[in-house]
Amino acid sequence: MRIKALLGHREVGVAVALIVVYAVFISMKREFLSAGTLGDIVTVAAELGTVAVGVSFLMIAGEMDLSVGSNFALTGMLLAMLVTRLSWNPYLAFAVVLACSAGIGALNGLVTLSARIPSFITTLGAMMFWRGLALYLTQGWPISVFTDVPLLRWLGGAKVYHTFHISAAWWLVIGAVFWVVLQKTAYGNWVFATGGKRAAARALGVPDTRVKLVNFVLAGVMAGLAGCFQLGRMGSMSPVWGQDLPLEAIAAAVVGGNSLTGGVGSILGAMLGAVTMASIRIGLVMVGAPAYWYMAFVGFIVVAAVALNVRLGEVISWHR
Amino acid sequence: MASVTQASVASDYTDCAPGSGAPPLMEGIGLCKRFGKVIALERVDITIRRGEVTGLVGDNGAGKSTLIKILTGVYRPDEGELRFEGRKVEFASPKDARRLGIETVYQDLALIESMSIARNFFLGAEPQRRVGVFRLLDGKKMRVVTEEALRDIGIRVRSANDEVSVLSGGERQAIAIGRTMHFGGKLLILDEPTSALSVHETNKVLTYIDEARKRGLAIIFITHNLYHVYPVADRIVVLEHGRKVGDFGKDEISVEELVQIVSFGARRVESGEQR
Repeated sequence: MRIKALLGHREVGVAVALIVVYAVFISMKREFLSAGTLGDIVTVAAELGTVAVGVSFLMIAGEMDLSVGSNFALTGMLLAMLVTRLSWNPYLAFAVVLACSAGIGALNGLVTLSARIPSFITTLGAMMFWRGLALYLTQGWPISVFTDVPLLRWLGGAKVYHTFHISAAWWLVIGAVFWVVLQKTAYGNWVFATGGKRAAARALGVPDTRVKLVNFVLAGVMAGLAGCFQLGRMGSMSPVWGQDLPLEAIAAAVVGGNSLTGGVGSILGAMLGAVTMASIRIGLVMVGAPAYWYMAFVGFIVVAAVALNVRLGEVISWHR
Repeated sequence: MASVTQASVASDYTDCAPGSGAPPLMEGIGLCKRFGKVIALERVDITIRRGEVTGLVGDNGAGKSTLIKILTGVYRPDEGELRFEGRKVEFASPKDARRLGIETVYQDLALIESMSIARNFFLGAEPQRRVGVFRLLDGKKMRVVTEEALRDIGIRVRSANDEVSVLSGGERQAIAIGRTMHFGGKLLILDEPTSALSVHETNKVLTYIDEARKRGLAIIFITHNLYHVYPVADRIVVLEHGRKVGDFGKDEISVEELVQIVSFGARRVESGEQR
């Protein structure tokens, strides 16, 4: 009974995937199991994971955002430009660029909801548009921050322990907040309902359009914030970074038990999905395999974990 | 209350004047609705009483759903008025109607399959508890109250935390009905509640409808299957081409006669209206 209750969770597939990935890399290289490696993994996971949390929250409400990668790059770049070239106060600049990322999310939502077109289309267009703008602004060159900016240290540069960057801590806090909102508040109930069956939710008085719009904005802000984390950690941002990010974030979400069509999903699952993908990235480096294998591994894991989830779901309902 | 309304059905079914037994819960008087040149509803009167099941029957396009959308605030009538508990009312939106206790259970929109029974039960009216400055869902209350409320009307579920997708169609209808009763609905409108159900399931849903009636709810049961509505109905209203062509207390008419009216409307309409 207890095992069945455990297997009923959406996160089982991704938990198994994570354990398998860990086991494989440990068997190849003992050092993979160490605090230092774990620190590297969660640091990488923090940036992807912050995007994945926002995307997953939006997906549960039944919408998609493919523009998160462009938002990520543009927001990070804007922050770097405002701080270096225009010498803005970093905190003001941070507030302004987050507002921009929220605006990108809001625009996605407004266009999708008022034109009544699939968000896949809207955000595909937005992805190209904002990427183009980012490339234009720097003529394709990366922007670096060479001076010591305390804000950037606070965002991602500082290490709290060993190889653990502070961005990982922010990510855990963000994940916890999103988890509570989704699972433990009335708003979370509306998110599930809006994505599950929009017309039924509306019939019961759920403000479905507002829920979707808010979630578009949150997905945008999370993408922008992740861009700021990366700028803080790396000290630079390139207009071509984050091109794979939308699909990686969606992959982390579906591996973690989110549905592409909405209504079901898990923030914890999406976070574990991000950790799994970061583990593959770090593990391949440690065993000396070409980094090109990353995508191939992730592709395999996505299909395997989702297949496992579906199979488990069938077994559980069969034995009820 | 039930006995009073039963008596009023028998004495004068067409009369909605005050003083004839229980006062009506809701009345529509001379309701008209046009969409361009199409007349969807033409001068329809309807009277809904507490503790009564009103069957609303008619073919597709007869005006059933237009009438219901007027009663629930989705449409505004072009002519005619609505009265609720004796007072004239105008609905700007379905919210206004819900505030008065008019609840609709749509066949395919009753519940959200991917969510738990308890989350469905309280959707849009979630109980919350304060934790510091935050307001969080009261998960325990949601589960316990849902299970109690369902048990109360004779619906048994394994756990209120089960997903709705594990329930049968009849159980889903039952839970939607139970939800309306729990939240103090006065008028329950069921849109084709039995059309997708097996015979056994249909019978179960009919017993829940009966239970809701015993508790004094007014119920409108929309269907095109007369054999489903006849056993539980107290009165039957027949619509055809946007007009009311029949309004009968159950003891005045047999199900066979009703089938005749619905199938071959016109001739019987004449005699029905002359009475």
